[in-house]
Amino acid sequence: MFDIHQAFRRSLQNPEIAYPLAAIIALTELIENSDAGTMFELVNAIRQGAETLKSKLENPIGVDAGCELFIAFVTLFHHESLTLTDLKRELIRQGQKYAEEAMTYRKKIAELTVGFIKDGSILTHSHSRVVMQTLLLAHQHKRISVFVTEARPRGLGLKTAEALIAAGVPCTVVLDSAVAYVMDKVDFVLVGSEAVVESGGLVNAVGSNQIAIIARAAKKPFYALAESYKFHRLFPLSQYDLPSHNSKILSFSSPSRPTRSASISRPAEDTTTASDPPTASASTNDTEPTSSTSITQQQICKTNPHVDYTRPDLISLVFSDVGSLTPEGVSQYLVGMFAG
Amino acid sequence: MPDKQETTLPTQQPGAAAPKPAGQPSQKSMTKAERRELQEKQRAAKAAAKAEAPKGGAGGSAAKTKGAQAPAKKAGEAGPAKQSVLTSKELGHAIPEEGAGKRGPRIFTHFGLPKPIGHTVKGDIHPAVVRLGLSFSEFKICGANARCIATLTAFKNVIQDYTTPPNSTLSRHLMTHLSPQITHLVAARPMSVSMGNAIRQLKLEISNSDIDLAKDVLCKKIDDYIQDRIIMADEVIQESAGRKIKEGDVILTYARSSVVEKVLLRARSEGKKFSVIVVDSRPLLEGKALLRSLTSGPDPIPCTYALLPALPSLLTEVTTVFIGAHSIYSNGAVFSRAGTALVSMMAKQRNVPVVVCCETCKFSEGILVDGFGKNELAPAHTVQPHGSTPTPTSEPGLEVLNPLYDLTPPNFITAVVTEVGLIPPSSISSIPLALGKTIL
Repeated sequence: MFDIHQAFRRSLQNPEIAYPLAAIIALTELIENSDAGTMFELVNAIRQGAETLKSKLENPIGVDAGCELFIAFVTLFHHESLTLTDLKRELIRQGQKYAEEAMTYRKKIAELTVGFIKDGSILTHSHSRVVMQTLLLAHQHKRISVFVTEARPRGLGLKTAEALIAAGVPCTVVLDSAVAYVMDKVDFVLVGSEAVVESGGLVNAVGSNQIAIIARAAKKPFYALAESYKFHRLFPLSQYDLPSHNSKILSFSSPSRPTRSASISRPAEDTTTASDPPTASASTNDTEPTSSTSITQQQICKTNPHVDYTRPDLISLVFSDVGSLTPEGVSQYLVGMFAG
Repeated sequence: MPDKQETTLPTQQPGAAAPKPAGQPSQKSMTKAERRELQEKQRAAKAAAKAEAPKGGAGGSAAKTKGAQAPAKKAGEAGPAKQSVLTSKELGHAIPEEGAGKRGPRIFTHFGLPKPIGHTVKGDIHPAVVRLGLSFSEFKICGANARCIATLTAFKNVIQDYTTPPNSTLSRHLMTHLSPQITHLVAARPMSVSMGNAIRQLKLEISNSDIDLAKDVLCKKIDDYIQDRIIMADEVIQESAGRKIKEGDVILTYARSSVVEKVLLRARSEGKKFSVIVVDSRPLLEGKALLRSLTSGPDPIPCTYALLPALPSLLTEVTTVFIGAHSIYSNGAVFSRAGTALVSMMAKQRNVPVVVCCETCKFSEGILVDGFGKNELAPAHTVQPHGSTPTPTSEPGLEVLNPLYDLTPPNFITAVVTEVGLIPPSSISSIPLALGKTIL
């Protein structure tokens, strides 16, 4: 029995491969192992596979983007003259060819972005492979210095800083809370992406939205780098409209002592209601001296979001292998790709 | 025949190219202000004449004066009636009078003044179209979708009753037959964009068709258009927009949009628990009908009804704003019931997402940047006086300005839901290309 998760994990073992691409490769392998008799059955099997893949993931956006792209390709593929076996073979071949080509996308994006980089300082967020490649390429041609945010709770920013320092790029780690402090020293902001959505907005590691808002306030450009397989037809209306949002995120813990004040004693709510943003996780509990519960980093990690949504009006440009796009242009590209 | 010799006042024959009487400078040499003054004087004189005429003189001459003031406008009786001759020149155009000294509001006159109901039927108009014209001008059928469907249904009747004259074919002659019907509808009420697109599509079908096109085929094509572009499109929109409604949401909507109504009812029938705020405004108060529709039925939605001035205090509670559209332009601007722009702008200011539900048959290729370029004034009978507010009949100097539509700029819209998906307003212009059409 073909296990799509295994195939998915196997592709991910190559550190260069991003989630959407791994999903496409896994679906290609699904076609290879499929015994569907007709085109219709094959497409159904692919859809099923995509669903199974997404169900096990906490943050399915990237995988969803890759799956949608592949399914659109399969359904629009010109197949009248081919038999089913020929068709399958052709689809697999195309899938593998696409995967190979997609490995060159990061290089293309890096080359495109370097044209926009002048000598100066750059702010980046967390760890992104495409941003790494861009910064290393820029370092060969220009004099840049990089500020990296720590990106708690996972602390991936440290990985970026270590790699850059090893390559000889002047680099320092900035606290997530010190982004506003450092913004005036920075020439522009460069971030990677998990997905770029229909509205032209960006879904990326939590903290990107904050940085974008601060960059807008300080009048610095905010650039996002995204390979074309990360473009998604999703349209979030707000932070809480993301598929990764659930009721656990930013929920209040139930009180353990009856003497707590009324505001903290509200039970864990469904945070999709109303417009008032839920307050930060209950770190106020710490001040209660008789409390026996202490907050651990793991708890914080569990009740906080992993990704956030940056609105399109905060983004200056999106650099992709299809070229440099304005946020409005992203939607026009997506409409051109998927509609009709 | 009017007796012109014994005049003491200068007389002007309407439309005559005769030399202007002495004592009155030629119209061209006067400045605009002077010409306006002259107009005012003439109108005042005419009003005075009208007031005087029933009083002074015998009943006979009074009747004559009244008769002379009818659209023929060739009056030239002795005495006070002479003054009416002066005014006849500028009354040579076809707008019938609404009352002494009335000329409608000073601004927005480029939309055409609202036509009174019960106007005459010119030419050979099908009774279904006459009925429709009356329904339009009395606002019995209101709303872009309703008007479009009603128009197409009426045209189906026309086509069924149509017989091709000898020596001509259906595809060539039908268009000339339909044109006066369309003109009649436009005279009743200016055409909506959805109607315009539908008629353009119909014309395309007729002109592209075979030489021996059957009437049934054409009627089937009309049915298909209604089914695909309106009914099915609404289904898809209900589903896409419904996904944006979550448990516990507070949805705000304005006036009454047929699509938004369907979206809300459908989301409710799927079992979601949410509440709705219906914002409404005079004079049409369409929100009341929406309120009735949402709260009646087996599973009523908890609703709040408010008027437009209450909006700022309500917006703090709102999760999403859903609005409908009369039409949407290539730059993403939404043309909708007057008041919608206020709602959208205020919502956007408070970071409340604004979602517009609009079928692609309402897209217009033009670009509109404000509500002044294209609009429609509601006729005076739609404004019911409220308590002791002064009305134009009670105060002669008072005019009522009642534009029906306004324009919401694209940067106040978060998303547009169409049958081809959820798109940002800036991508409206790429939809026709993506659908493989060169025209909408």
